[in-house]
Amino acid sequence: MQNNTHSHQPTVFVVDDDAAVRDALKFLLRSVGHQVETYASALEFLDAYRDDRPGCLVLDIRMPGMSGLELQEQLVGRRAILPIIFITGHGDVPMAVEAMQAGAMDFIQKPFHDQELLDRINQALTKDAEMRQSIKGLNGIRERLASLTQRERQVMNLVVHGKANKVIAGDLDLSQRTVEIHRARVMEKMQASSLAHLVRMVIEIGEL
Amino acid sequence: MSESASETDRPHDEGDELEYRTVLDAAVDAVIIIDGRGLIEFVNRAAERLFDYQSDELLGRSVNILMPQTLRDEHDGYLQRLQRTREPHILGIGREVSAQRRDGTTFAVELAVGEIKGKTPRFIGFIRDIADRQRAENDVRQMRERLTHFGRIATMGEMAAGIAHEINQPLTAIATYAQACQRLLTNPALSMADIVEGLTQIEAQALRAGEVIRRLRSFVKNHEVRREPLDPNQFIEDLLMLAQTDTRHHHVQIRLELGEQLPAVQADPVQLQQVVLNLVRNSIDAMTDVPHAQRIIVLRTRRDENGDVEFMIADRGPGLEPAAREHLFNPFFTTKTGGTGLGLAISQSIVRAHGGKVWYRENPGGGACFLFSLPAMQSK
Repeated sequence: MQNNTHSHQPTVFVVDDDAAVRDALKFLLRSVGHQVETYASALEFLDAYRDDRPGCLVLDIRMPGMSGLELQEQLVGRRAILPIIFITGHGDVPMAVEAMQAGAMDFIQKPFHDQELLDRINQALTKDAEMRQSIKGLNGIRERLASLTQRERQVMNLVVHGKANKVIAGDLDLSQRTVEIHRARVMEKMQASSLAHLVRMVIEIGEL
Repeated sequence: MSESASETDRPHDEGDELEYRTVLDAAVDAVIIIDGRGLIEFVNRAAERLFDYQSDELLGRSVNILMPQTLRDEHDGYLQRLQRTREPHILGIGREVSAQRRDGTTFAVELAVGEIKGKTPRFIGFIRDIADRQRAENDVRQMRERLTHFGRIATMGEMAAGIAHEINQPLTAIATYAQACQRLLTNPALSMADIVEGLTQIEAQALRAGEVIRRLRSFVKNHEVRREPLDPNQFIEDLLMLAQTDTRHHHVQIRLELGEQLPAVQADPVQLQQVVLNLVRNSIDAMTDVPHAQRIIVLRTRRDENGDVEFMIADRGPGLEPAAREHLFNPFFTTKTGGTGLGLAISQSIVRAHGGKVWYRENPGGGACFLFSLPAMQSK
């Protein structure tokens, strides 16, 4: 419900079972102008978080009930892209390594220097924005691809495989003129500025 | 013998007198005979040695010179009442009382008193020096207390990682608030309210860290054993901070199931904490292979069928092998690598010293379940 209002400004989500640490992080992050939401448990966060909300997750690795690592696993499982910065205590390095192997962006040991944490949060927010941008781009390509007719799709597949119009006409049993018309429609619908651009888009969405 | 001794209205028969003196002088225990007013009529050799007097120094004097000042009035009171009512109140065997030597030093004795029937009553006291026995009992008690203390230090050692974590939390909050306040102070749009909030939190978290340390210190300190009335539920709530120091670090949740309207128990709070923390430790160790979400310890209090207060500590670990159950409370028996095998033995000795009992049963839902019960205090 509140997602619409938040969907453009990124949020730093803080999950820590310790109220004092949670509130301190909120206090610090607000003091530098971040939008912050705090959660006392992994489950509480999982229930509330929608994958389309941009931002990053600052996550305590050690929590009763569902641990930080288990929350990470759940998020990976549902293909959420939210970057995760783990906060760890002393002696939690082995767990932190495990978290990094599972794709965590970073970890930071308690107590931390504020600048160190803020730098990492900024990096994470940048990464999240880039990821969302590129996903948005890919989704755009997929949508445009879906708008092609079957015949246009056939023509495009042969074009991106480097076939000349004459060869395509022969393969598809069409006149060369018809192929040229389809080809022009493909470039237009795919918003491709050049053949190279078209090829890159098809590669990006893994169709080539 | 009692016949001749009771004949106080005529001179004692010399032969009888000699005979019973000879017998009593051979006794190992001190023997003293007094009349109804408390005046000494006879002391044997052992009594002379024990109190460091010669017989003739004592004869005819009040027996209360052999007692410390604090007991004298009480004793005189007994005798006065006896003269009024003719009912002896001080007869009996095996009372432990304090006695006083010639030089004023006091020592523990066991006293048995009998009445010698006659026209006027006389009393015979048998007195045994029990200083040695008391010393031995003291030694055993001190040994037990030292071992108990050692057990607490060992438990604390096992909790070290959790303790470090628990102190690191407020330190992290303090550092973060302080850094944020510094940032706020350089901001032209400075809000004093924010600074005040930050400082308030810093103070609260510093006190929190201090409280963790204070509780740990009072737990591990070698203290005078002291029984006091404890509300079982309040006791569990107070213990929670220390217990969670350990459980949080191991992703374990504690669930409380506290019974209502429980009677108080008479207990040493630190020792009782030791029992529960030790059982909580065992439960934590038992659940290292259990997925985090299922790591739960239930602490339950209730009033049992006998009216006693029952404490339960249950976990979701694998439970105990039947073979292990037999030796559970034996010293040096352990199923843990690196365990001392003293935790449960010490817990059992603490609970027993409190007049209670401790036992084990399977947790019906899987896992181990330790219970102990303590007698309820009378009159709520």
